[in-house]
Amino acid sequence: MMRSARSGALAVCAGAVLLSGCYNLRPSTGGGQTSFSGQRTVNAGDIALPSGYRAEAVATGLTYPTGVAFDGSGRIYVSESGYSYGEDFTAPRLVRVEQGGGLKTVVRGGRNGPWTGVTFADGAFYIAEGGVLEGGRILRVTPEGGQSAVISGLPTMGDHHTNGPAIGPDGWIYFGQGTATNSGIVGKDNLEFGWLTRKPQFHDIACEDIVVTGENFTTPNYVTGEGQAETGTYVPFGTGTTPGQVIKGRLPCGGSILRVPAGGGAPQLVAWGFRNPFGLAFGPGGSLYVTENGYDDRGSRPVWGAGDPLWRIERGRWYGWPDFSAGEPLTESDYKPPGDPQPTFLLQHQKAPPRPVANLGVHGSANGIDFSRSDSFGHVGEAFIAMFGDQAPDTGKVTNPVGFKVVRVNVSNGAIEDFAVNKGRKSGPASYIGGGGLERPLGVKFSPDGSALYVADFGVMTMTAKGPNPVRGTGVLWKIVRE
Amino acid sequence: MRPPALVRHVVACAALVALAALMLAGCGSARRSDPIKGSVTINDPRVAHGRDVWMMKCNRCHPGGEAGLGPATNDKPLPGFLIAAQIRTGLGAMPAFTKEEMSDADVAAVIAYMKAIRRADAKPM
Repeated sequence: MMRSARSGALAVCAGAVLLSGCYNLRPSTGGGQTSFSGQRTVNAGDIALPSGYRAEAVATGLTYPTGVAFDGSGRIYVSESGYSYGEDFTAPRLVRVEQGGGLKTVVRGGRNGPWTGVTFADGAFYIAEGGVLEGGRILRVTPEGGQSAVISGLPTMGDHHTNGPAIGPDGWIYFGQGTATNSGIVGKDNLEFGWLTRKPQFHDIACEDIVVTGENFTTPNYVTGEGQAETGTYVPFGTGTTPGQVIKGRLPCGGSILRVPAGGGAPQLVAWGFRNPFGLAFGPGGSLYVTENGYDDRGSRPVWGAGDPLWRIERGRWYGWPDFSAGEPLTESDYKPPGDPQPTFLLQHQKAPPRPVANLGVHGSANGIDFSRSDSFGHVGEAFIAMFGDQAPDTGKVTNPVGFKVVRVNVSNGAIEDFAVNKGRKSGPASYIGGGGLERPLGVKFSPDGSALYVADFGVMTMTAKGPNPVRGTGVLWKIVRE
Repeated sequence: MRPPALVRHVVACAALVALAALMLAGCGSARRSDPIKGSVTINDPRVAHGRDVWMMKCNRCHPGGEAGLGPATNDKPLPGFLIAAQIRTGLGAMPAFTKEEMSDADVAAVIAYMKAIRRADAKPM
């Protein structure tokens, strides 16, 4: 009897250990942790879709495509980023996709990418220029290529940039502002991103007055290369804070949704407390929905296990960064990285943030978003979201590629379902699992009649010991229709 | 008549090895999503509740039951009591979920949803 009990207990323990997968012992196996050489193979037949749908490649050879738009005649345009993580600068472009897949340049930008997205309204294109070197801008571009700035000087020279834009029912331009840092503290990870060397005084900017807890982080001095530095939140590298210190908010700020009149003018705050609000779209009932790239397991204050929330925006609310993830405090044990300290609050809080509509896969990078609005395509009212895919191990370890697909979300109950994924026994980008399917979907947009979903696939970006290694000319524009 | 102790011991060890092999093997691909296995209609309210809880508490680490930050769950044929035990106690990098975070009814519903997805083949649940 005793022996049977022991055997049973042993079996339970063995099962439990095996189920855990020994996380700490396993190497990271992210989708970018592969090698790539030569040309990208493109084969729509390698993409798995729900029954009754089919995909085709509309254009290939793009360099870092990010967004899709249609002019008043329904012609297709794609924004090319002009910048990729991995510090690769190219010329950002807006290109028109001709019949047969040819590309005609409408306008080129300067060395201030990434152009993170594009939309079209009232006879002009509006482009979000990330502003990695000179600060973010919202650009107005005419179909003839005339270019002007609706707003400029946005503080997005850090990890994350100016994103969007989307035109609201009120005719204003809504756009996202990413934060400078992963979780509120400038540190070594920002040196590796490249910007701490360029902009050593740059830091996160609050939208409203905040009171800090005075938590500071001691690190080597990465700016001077000598001695140590103590760094608090919402201040430059090497600057400490004290408990109860008030940091004044101002506009334009980071980690926020702002809006500006289409004709230009002062920006207004819509909501804030986001990390990197990337995709913006107005959904059923005219509500604004935003995808957010959640925390990474990196830097002076790493955060573990943070998903990528989908938010329904309430005007004027604060959404939790740098102390909450998807409405939950980072002081919960879920967010403690193995081997690193439990995050503590950086701010003194009066109230908690709301809960998200959905919470997508950790490190999956939920980016572009659009809503189906036509029965001819189906899933009317659901959000379609491009998942760029993990950048493991730099952003944190994963046990399998995360993202590299398009998902749909029922915004009434938060149910997430894959929509376009690569075929195969495992999920992942084509460069990882083989075949000619998806790499890194970044932008999604339904055609004006709602019958087709276009997917801007950024292309191949592997992760190396030196960081991201993006490959020019491997971007693809996919089109998905219902047969 | 009871079998000899040696036989009982061998049987217990064999069961243990079989269980371990089953879990190590992962029993095939964990992919169960709509594009791979077809759409699933959920009619059972408990399974639907389990899906809602799963989406908010579990999906971010095990997206669609596949591996992500954590291991896959779709290909692990664990009995419900073991799943419940791991949810309550956590293990390795997986945090424990208290009754305040996930009630017993929530846990039971999540397990029902996980089992339903495991055997997903476009049949209503």
